[in-house]
Amino acid sequence: MSDNIEREAYSAARIKALESLLIEKGIVSSTTVDEVIEFFEKDMGPFNGAKIVAKAWLDPEFKQRLLEDTTSAIAQMNFPRGIAGAEGEHMKAVENTPEVHNLIVCTLCSCYPWPVLGLPPYWFKDPTFRARAVREPRKVLKEFGLNIPESTEVYVWDTSAQTCWFVLPERPAGTDGWTEEQLAAIVTPESMQGAAKVEVPTKIS
Amino acid sequence: MKLQHYLGGLEGLEPSSFEKRVFVQPWEKRIFGIHVAMMALSQHLEAAKATPTQFKSVWTWANLRKGAEGMNPFDYFKYRYYEKWLGGISGFFVESGYVSKEELDAKTAAYLEKLDAPLPLGGEVAIDKQVIEYLRAGDSPKCDVDIKPKFQVGDTVVVRNPPPVEHCKLPGYLRTKRGTVDVVYEGTYNYPLQTGDGVGDPMPIYSVKFDSHAIWNNLTESKTWIFADIYEAYLEDIA
Repeated sequence: MSDNIEREAYSAARIKALESLLIEKGIVSSTTVDEVIEFFEKDMGPFNGAKIVAKAWLDPEFKQRLLEDTTSAIAQMNFPRGIAGAEGEHMKAVENTPEVHNLIVCTLCSCYPWPVLGLPPYWFKDPTFRARAVREPRKVLKEFGLNIPESTEVYVWDTSAQTCWFVLPERPAGTDGWTEEQLAAIVTPESMQGAAKVEVPTKIS
Repeated sequence: MKLQHYLGGLEGLEPSSFEKRVFVQPWEKRIFGIHVAMMALSQHLEAAKATPTQFKSVWTWANLRKGAEGMNPFDYFKYRYYEKWLGGISGFFVESGYVSKEELDAKTAAYLEKLDAPLPLGGEVAIDKQVIEYLRAGDSPKCDVDIKPKFQVGDTVVVRNPPPVEHCKLPGYLRTKRGTVDVVYEGTYNYPLQTGDGVGDPMPIYSVKFDSHAIWNNLTESKTWIFADIYEAYLEDIA
């Protein structure tokens, strides 16, 4: 445990030392890193993907455009500050259905569609997940709490060149009549990478 | 062979962690922010050249990946994701002469004594502006070069097995395997550096569909298909 505390303290001091030298030498400013972090908290995050999914559930025409030409369908959505940008230059949505379950992985690194999903969570970056997802996806998903029926095909998308993938999950039962906002609130980053289903909370407060 | 290129399919591993946090330590956000700034200020971008920064290098994902793939493979698995970034990026700044190892070590020691000591103030606002502009605009690898794709949808293709290079865009488990072209992407795509095994200049990219049994025989699961985006240089005819 004390080794761990030392390891983290060293990294924390090391990055602060590096950032402070880069500021002193005029490479970045003293606010650059804060600005980047804030951008991912407010502008580029899974809240964008959740809106896209909710809209696709309610609007069949939009859904069709989204699946056919993902980047331009999203560009037409008028997100307040624009949504294309870094790691979203070439995005593609794939749809989960009772017949096909899609799972996204990047076995070589950790490519992820930033504009719609923000930054990848640790499970996605984990070498164990990256190693296993392509060979035994059903077993991995079962460990994550998701049982894929034997009759369902599994498509695993290994992000190895320009396209960053995300999943259009299935709309859960019991959400008839919900607004786009209500639907968006239950869409998780995991469901948009095929690692979980969208669940209706047992009690909505 | 480089182990980092052959992660896909490794056997004998423990259950995967389902850690949903993006950052597990506050310091990880800082190294992420530095990497984004470096990509935004990379001197292959016209807007970066016009920005008043002292950063005079090209820095893209390819550089970060090359560093991680160049690591001792056993070390690669010892370090957490952002620990690798911290090592790679601080190493780059030292090797490129932006900071000396001595001053980095001295500052590290000082912050270890007093971690809440403030960062220095200052710097050009125009730097921040370019960084956010880069995040909004991106840096597409799509090229305005017209090359007729060698393969069509439905073609059976074989993945080549080129000798290992420092940084590779071909998942190791697909080497020598047969798949079917599912999509021919419109246009051509370059890569920020020449990998040395054929990728770099503009070329077509294909989405290729593989039956998992064609890769792992019965060591995989039923009804499982793998789709990978593969540069044309990595593909050949079945003949």
